[in-house]
Parts: sequence; C-alpha cells; structure tokens
Amino acid sequence: MADQGGTQVTKGLSARSFSTRPGVLSVLAVASALLVGFIAIALAGKDASGGYTRMIEGAFGSPAALGETSIKTAVLTCTGLSVGLAFVVGLFNIGAEGQFIAGALAAAVAGHALRLPAPLHVPVALLCAAAAGALPALVAAWLKVQRGVHEVISTIMLNWIVIYWVHDWLVVGPLRAPGAISVSGTAQIQATAELPRLLESSRLDVGLPIAITLAVMAWLLLGRTVLGYEMRAVGANPDAARVAGIPVARRLYLAMGMSGALSGIGGALLILGTEHHYPGVFRTGYGFDGIAVALVGSGHPLGVLAAALTFGGLRAGATRLQLVGIHPSFAELIQGLAVLFVATRALFAGGLDRVAARLGRRPS
Amino acid sequence: MIIVSILRSVLDFAPPLILAALGGVVSERSGVVNIGLEGMMRVGAFFACWGAFASHSAWIGLLCGVLAGAAFAAVHAFVSIHGRADQVVSGIALNLVALGLVTFLLEAVFGTTGVAPAQTLPELPLLLGRSPYTYLALIAPFAMAGLFRYTVPGLRLRAVGEHPHAASTLGVSVARVRWAAVLASGALAGLGGSALSLAILHRFDNKMPAGMGFMALAAMVFGKWRPVGALLASLFFAFGHASVDVVRSAMPKTGPMSEAHLDGILMAAPYLLTLLLLGGFVGRAVPPAANGVPYDPEAKH
Repeated sequence: MADQGGTQVTKGLSARSFSTRPGVLSVLAVASALLVGFIAIALAGKDASGGYTRMIEGAFGSPAALGETSIKTAVLTCTGLSVGLAFVVGLFNIGAEGQFIAGALAAAVAGHALRLPAPLHVPVALLCAAAAGALPALVAAWLKVQRGVHEVISTIMLNWIVIYWVHDWLVVGPLRAPGAISVSGTAQIQATAELPRLLESSRLDVGLPIAITLAVMAWLLLGRTVLGYEMRAVGANPDAARVAGIPVARRLYLAMGMSGALSGIGGALLILGTEHHYPGVFRTGYGFDGIAVALVGSGHPLGVLAAALTFGGLRAGATRLQLVGIHPSFAELIQGLAVLFVATRALFAGGLDRVAARLGRRPS
Repeated sequence: MIIVSILRSVLDFAPPLILAALGGVVSERSGVVNIGLEGMMRVGAFFACWGAFASHSAWIGLLCGVLAGAAFAAVHAFVSIHGRADQVVSGIALNLVALGLVTFLLEAVFGTTGVAPAQTLPELPLLLGRSPYTYLALIAPFAMAGLFRYTVPGLRLRAVGEHPHAASTLGVSVARVRWAAVLASGALAGLGGSALSLAILHRFDNKMPAGMGFMALAAMVFGKWRPVGALLASLFFAFGHASVDVVRSAMPKTGPMSEAHLDGILMAAPYLLTLLLLGGFVGRAVPPAANGVPYDPEAKH
C-alpha cells in the first residue's frame, strides 16, 4: 500500500478539525444512517417507530439506561481518541481492537495479581493496560519508521495475532483461572481494583470521568502545546515538518504509543468496571468501533466525545430492539452507514456548499 | 492416513481463501486497496445461501453470491473512485455494514440470528469427489496471471496500479479500469464467500466468514500481490490450519505443552509470518506503487 493512501483522509481531518463543517457533516451522516435504518426496519415489516422509541429509552430513558450508555461512551471515547490521535500524525491505526484486548487482559491480570491499597490499585492497573496497549502499536510504528511497512496492513496483522494469542492461548492456557468451573477466562480481580460506582441505581462508574478527562487532555495537548502542534505538523506534511526540525520519527512513536495506550485503557475500563475478570469470550468490537467514532468525530477530541456518546447510546439502546425482533448488531449497521456517509463527504460537501451559497445570496 | 486427512482439509478450506485473496490481488493491482474483503465474503456467503434456498438450485445460489459480492464492491468503487474517498475508510465501513446488514437480513428472512436454513442447502455436483470450487480455485490464479501478463486489459490494469498518470496519457481510462477491477474483486470475494455456505457448511452461519477475509488479505500480501503467489500463500495457510487438528490430537491434554497452548499460537502464525515478511525479515513484499492513492487527473506527479 502506497504511503499517501493512509494519510489522505487524515490530512483532511486534521486540517479541518477545528472548523465546524465536519461537525455538520457528521450530524447529517448519522441522521442519514438512522433514517436508512428506520426504512430498513419498516421494509422488513417490523415496528420501526416502536423500535426507535425503545432504542432511545434503552439509551437515555432511565438511570440504569444512562449507566449502560455511560459505560459504553467511556470505552468508545478511549478507542475513538486512540484512532483519532494516530490520525493527527497521519497514521491509520486499525489495530485499536488488538490494543484494546491487550489492555483489557493486562488490567485483568494486574487487578488480580497485585496486592495494593484501593487508591493505588486502579491507577496501577490502568497504567499496566496502557503499557500493554501501547506495545502492539509501537511494533506497528517501528515497522513503519524502520521498515516502511504501511501501518494499515501491520495493524490488521497485529490485531489477529493478539486476538488469537489472547483468546485461544493465554486465556484458555497459562492465564486461565486455576480450578475454575468455566473452561476459560482469568481469575476475578481484587475488590481494590474495581472501578468505584458513582450511583447506587446504575452501573455508572468513574470510567466516564476518566474518559472525559482523557479527551480534554488530548484536546489541550493538540491545541495548546508545542508537542501537539508538532504532531499536527507531522500529519499535515512530514517532509515540511522534517525540514522545520521536528523529529518526525519520534513524534510518530509518541502518537502511536499514546494511541495504543488509550485503546488499552478503554479495555481496562470495561474489565475493571463491569466484567471484573477477562472472560473466555470477549469479542466486543469496541476497537473497530473506535475507528467509526474517530471518523464521525472528525478526529477532534471533543468531536470524538460527541460521537462516542451517540454510538454508546446506540449500542446501549440497540439491545432493546430485540423487543421488536431486531438483533442488536443493528448498531453496527448504523455505524457502518454513518462512516460510509462521512467517507463520501467530498460528494456531500460540494452539494452542501452550493446550498449554503444559494441560501447565503438570498437577502434575509 | 494423516496426510490424506490434511490434504482433504486443505482442499476444503483453501478455495474460499484463494478466491478472496485473488479478489484482493485484482483490486490492489489496479491501485484500489480493498480491506472490505471480509464484508464482501459475508454478503456473498449469505446471498448464496438465500438464493440456493429460494430457488432450490445451488448454481443460482452461487450466482447470487457472486452478484452480491460485486454489488457490495460497487459501493466501494463508487465511494473510492468516484468520490475519491479514503479507500481504507470505505473498506472498514463496508465491513461494519456487512456485519449488521447480514444479521438484519438473516433475521428478516430466516427468523434466526444463528445458523440457517433448518435443512441443508441443495448441493453442487461433485467432480471426482471434490466440489467445483476446488478446481476453480486451483485454475483461477493461473488464468489471472496469464491475463495480467499477456492480455491488453491485464497490462492496462497493472499500468493503472503502478502509474495511473502514465496510463492515462496513453489513453487508458483510469476510472473505468479501476471500476472493473473492484467489481471483479467483489465478485471473487463473493464467490469465495459462497463456497463457505454452499460447499462447506451447506448452510449459512452468522459467524461467517470469521476473519477469513482478513486472512485473504494476509495471503495476498504474503503472495506479494501476485495471483499464483496468493494461491501458494493460501495453500500454505490452509495447510497450517489443517495441521492444527492433527497436531492437537497428538498433544497431551494438560501441562505446558497441552493443546490449549498450541491452538492460538498456530492460528496466529499466518499473520505473524506475513508481518515478518513485510518487515523484510523473510524476503520482501512490495505493494503496487499507486495502491491506495485516489486518482486525481489534475494532481502534480
């Protein structure tokens, strides 16, 4: 794969990430995707409006629903930021899924094996997850910098390596809970490693505040620091950045390392917050969805937060679609369509500009 | 006896992998990255099942699988050639859509989200005890290699993938060649997917293709973007897959060398090997020069 390919979308994203237009297009893309989904349900002869009402209730209608949405929003914010940060330096991190799994496993192991007081245990487990998530991402960065391997291919390969190693080797073999009734899965984490819940009535835990903090930190880093400026410069034009004296390779390592760490933390939030051990079957797709979140969020940290809330709500609400006979994977369909519509924004944007120009000419 | 059973397993597992990998080759040699192979295989597998179920004919099912793969690829072509969007994004979106859409259709048509239909599908006639897919998958790579090497369309396709501006100067329509290549890619991936439901399981399983589209991508890279290379890589991966069962049965049930340890390591091996190849630790794989770059006639080059 030629190098320009991966950076083409990312250039558009980082250059325009502070303007409002991508936001408008993202809202339109999600709305169009929801509309297509609505029509599809109706065409299948099922109760579309009832389904959508239940979906909204399931996402935002009760404290319990809000708790579910908040958990999913927190995780998607992490994986979305992960993919978005790599975009900033012009890298397409498709490996978020593998990094997520690596981080989740590290959190489960650290949560179980370490004996630490409560205020320390969670941060230490999160750090372990960040390191484990960064590892495969740094392998991809090294292959990119040293060997010229396109990160899209290398991260896809790394995803499957991690998935098979964790799910078909580590969790069923050496890391399996000793004497467990189930055939796979790691041992339960210590109570000190569990994320504290914020409310009695829902599963809302400190994961969401952590994720929001990470988003704000990413926003500050990119918009308010020299380091962030240099990372954006590398993404916009690596050659110009090199000429300007920016250590391009080091910025690539840094961005990819942070990217992997964020996905790893996303995995940790799910393990420490709700699962409390690494289960035998754990194919969540949160890493892949992170790509959708980053693209719909235009790669901007606050856009990512908004997109994560949208897709987190969609994921939480989609389970209620079963009441009208629709499988929850409907959420994947909507996300896929939204990404497809965002991808065609060049086609969209031209038409929108014409409409805007026509409206603008009219005296009001 | 072991060799026979491995060989049989390879001849079952390899054809869908080979066909999808060829789909990857034809698209990427024209300069369009196709990581939507997984999704195209999925719609191919489902529509082949639906077609065969509705028409009581496996051949019509096969045709439906091919057409569905091509139709899905048409979206990829439209978005990435006409819209000049990022081809990786388009492929990812299509994989997500395929995941949700096929589950949705499976539930709407068969009323299940697991395995359908209840009775096994009509079967394709066997030739010397093997399904037609086996022969197709063993012949198609050589046919494609010949096409690339000796025919005008094949040479044009490669030219467009290596240097679209030069090809355009010589009067070749870059967009038209890429459209044809992407449609062929989807048709091949759809054909490969149809093999999963029509020739292997004789049903559709909602887990299909369970990552085989990504393995096809690995086989394409491992085969250095060449048709016969993709064939050999697919056979090698399929051999590894088949030998898992044999090695497992020879392993102790417990202890550090037990079967539980071996599965994951062996299943990850194709991806690890591909990564090592790409890194230049074992040989070298160089992608087509213009792969992944949307063609802009006005761009400086």
